[in-house]
Amino acid sequence: MKRIWAICSFEIKKLFIKPQSYLLMFGMPLLFTLLFGGIMGDSSTGKVTLAFIDQDHSMMSKSLYDTLQNNDLFLLKEMSHNEAATQIKDKKLIGLLEVSKGFENKFASEGQPMVTFKYSPDFTSNAMIDQIVSNAIAKMKIQSTASTVWSNYSKESWEKMYPVLDKEISTSTPSIQKVSITKNMKKQEMGNVSARSAGFSIMFVMIVMMSVTGVLLEARKTGVWYRLLSTPTSRLEVMGGYFLSFFLIGWIQFGVLMAASTLLFGVHWGNLLGVFILVTSLLLCVVGLGLFISGFVKTTEQQGAFGSVIITATCMLGGVYWPLDIVPSFMQKIAEFIPQTWAMRGFTELISRGGSVQDIVAPVSVLLAFSVVFLAIGITRVKYE
Amino acid sequence: MLEVSKVRKSFGKTEVVKGVTFSVERGEAFGLLGPNGAGKSTTISMICGLLPFNEGDITVDGYSVKNNPMEIKKRIGVVPQDIALYPTMSAMDNLLFWGKMYGLSRKNALNRAYEVLDIVGLRDRAKDKIETFSGGMKRRINIGAALMHRPQILIMDEPTVGIDPQSRNHILETVKQLNKEGMTIIYTSHYMEEVEFLCERIGIIDHGEVIAVGTKEDLINRLSGGTVIKMEIGHYNKSLVEELNTLPFVEKIVTKDDERELEIFVNSSHQALGELVSTAVKNNVEVSTIQVQEPNLETLFLQLTGRSLRD
Repeated sequence: MKRIWAICSFEIKKLFIKPQSYLLMFGMPLLFTLLFGGIMGDSSTGKVTLAFIDQDHSMMSKSLYDTLQNNDLFLLKEMSHNEAATQIKDKKLIGLLEVSKGFENKFASEGQPMVTFKYSPDFTSNAMIDQIVSNAIAKMKIQSTASTVWSNYSKESWEKMYPVLDKEISTSTPSIQKVSITKNMKKQEMGNVSARSAGFSIMFVMIVMMSVTGVLLEARKTGVWYRLLSTPTSRLEVMGGYFLSFFLIGWIQFGVLMAASTLLFGVHWGNLLGVFILVTSLLLCVVGLGLFISGFVKTTEQQGAFGSVIITATCMLGGVYWPLDIVPSFMQKIAEFIPQTWAMRGFTELISRGGSVQDIVAPVSVLLAFSVVFLAIGITRVKYE
Repeated sequence: MLEVSKVRKSFGKTEVVKGVTFSVERGEAFGLLGPNGAGKSTTISMICGLLPFNEGDITVDGYSVKNNPMEIKKRIGVVPQDIALYPTMSAMDNLLFWGKMYGLSRKNALNRAYEVLDIVGLRDRAKDKIETFSGGMKRRINIGAALMHRPQILIMDEPTVGIDPQSRNHILETVKQLNKEGMTIIYTSHYMEEVEFLCERIGIIDHGEVIAVGTKEDLINRLSGGTVIKMEIGHYNKSLVEELNTLPFVEKIVTKDDERELEIFVNSSHQALGELVSTAVKNNVEVSTIQVQEPNLETLFLQLTGRSLRD
């Protein structure tokens, strides 16, 4: 046991003596979480800006402006036509919405109120803006029709009723109540930051594991392996020492990332025992994968190259970068055979649904099955001579 | 102390060690001399229990490497041909690690590491990373790592490859001193002068076979033509070689370098020199250089195998 610990502690020291290890293990995953989690999670930072040119200066054009301001996709900035044209030319705006003179009159008559939407050719979300504007005009049309009917009975101007209706509709409680399905009373959200935090922790633990499991190949290349086996240290002790070091390095990395993401981004990782079991199974699987790859390659360079390709591809397939719900069904089927899919499912269960240990039995079992296969093949391919 | 008995080793269909037999006494310095690919490293790996062998046996202090490899590993310190150290760690970290691998406690390893650093002359560099060391210094720490547990036998596999003469001398002096203090040394090399300097007994190995074993004097006495005269000639002349072969003091002639260099083994250089030159002149062959080489292990190897140690 002394020798196992000696190998393990030396490998850990060897890793942490290098400053670049801290960047790869902790700096980069936190930075990626901040960038991807923040950008995709905070809706206000992702809004584009459109110019709003009001040629009509009417109650209805004002109403359209107010209605359109309440959306998650874009912000409106009122300005003149020339000003808007200049800003679009300078790429400060991606487009404009122009309300022509006579806009309000179209509501009173039988005509169709029109708004002109001009946008840069590189803007890809134009269909969504088109839909939002159309919906807003349709809503206004219904309100104006109702106001006109009221006007016919009351003999008062429809413009008097319209603002009342508009205010009533915009302040009414929505008929849909959104409830998140959780396993306990403590409501938790798998926000984008939480999801990316789990995802990038998995990805960077895998990257680091590829590197640290490569020490077996490096040891063979440098002669350290030869010397180790010439000492009175058994093969079991040698492999035990290395294996323990890989496992502890993985846990140190994951533990620090969990603590840092909780402090920095407010991520709640859920049931701690569940997280411990899930991360342990994931690490066994990842260490197994590292040994598996090192069993089939000859140099650390090959291990790095193969490892990078495998990690990137499986992270894409396993829902680390984006939710699996948005990918086609055949890719979702492939994802069933990817360890990261099961790890992410486990984290979703713990973080988002407030699950406990019994709720992650399936992901943990699958990860352990992957571990057994990878470790069995990886360890049998280690050459001792 | 060490007995290597009729050991055979094959890789696939190729037999690389063919019944190697030799023994080393306690406190002795034994050299295994042979060219690259002769089977020295394979033999060393088998002694260290790193490579299984097909036939024969190896024992250290009566323990067989087949049955008690760990007992043997406790008694030996191995200096591999490669610099088997961790370059990003300090010399002290490396020595402590290898000390622990040999079963020393941290305290004992620390004390011994300072002693070892003194032996290899690098105490002042204890905290420096190995990657900042020169090739010679790395080789010295490489030896130091094998000394951590005070081994009874120090096995060194070409420990001076690729280093400067000053570092080589330091290493040779260190090993000589260790041997004087009672440590048994097994030293493999293809540098004849290193083996001659260090070792009392020498085994010459080629193509997986030990072709001669004995003290330096024993081996040189075995030379039938003790002296080699190297003669460079303008052009090859068959009749010259035939005539030289008839001379009574000529034992053997080996032609080299496009047959323009003759290595003539003679038993009396004083008598031979004049007659060799006059025979060449008589056969209209120009002699550009002539060199007399006194008998040594290189000569013996050349005579036994027909090729040089560094071929």
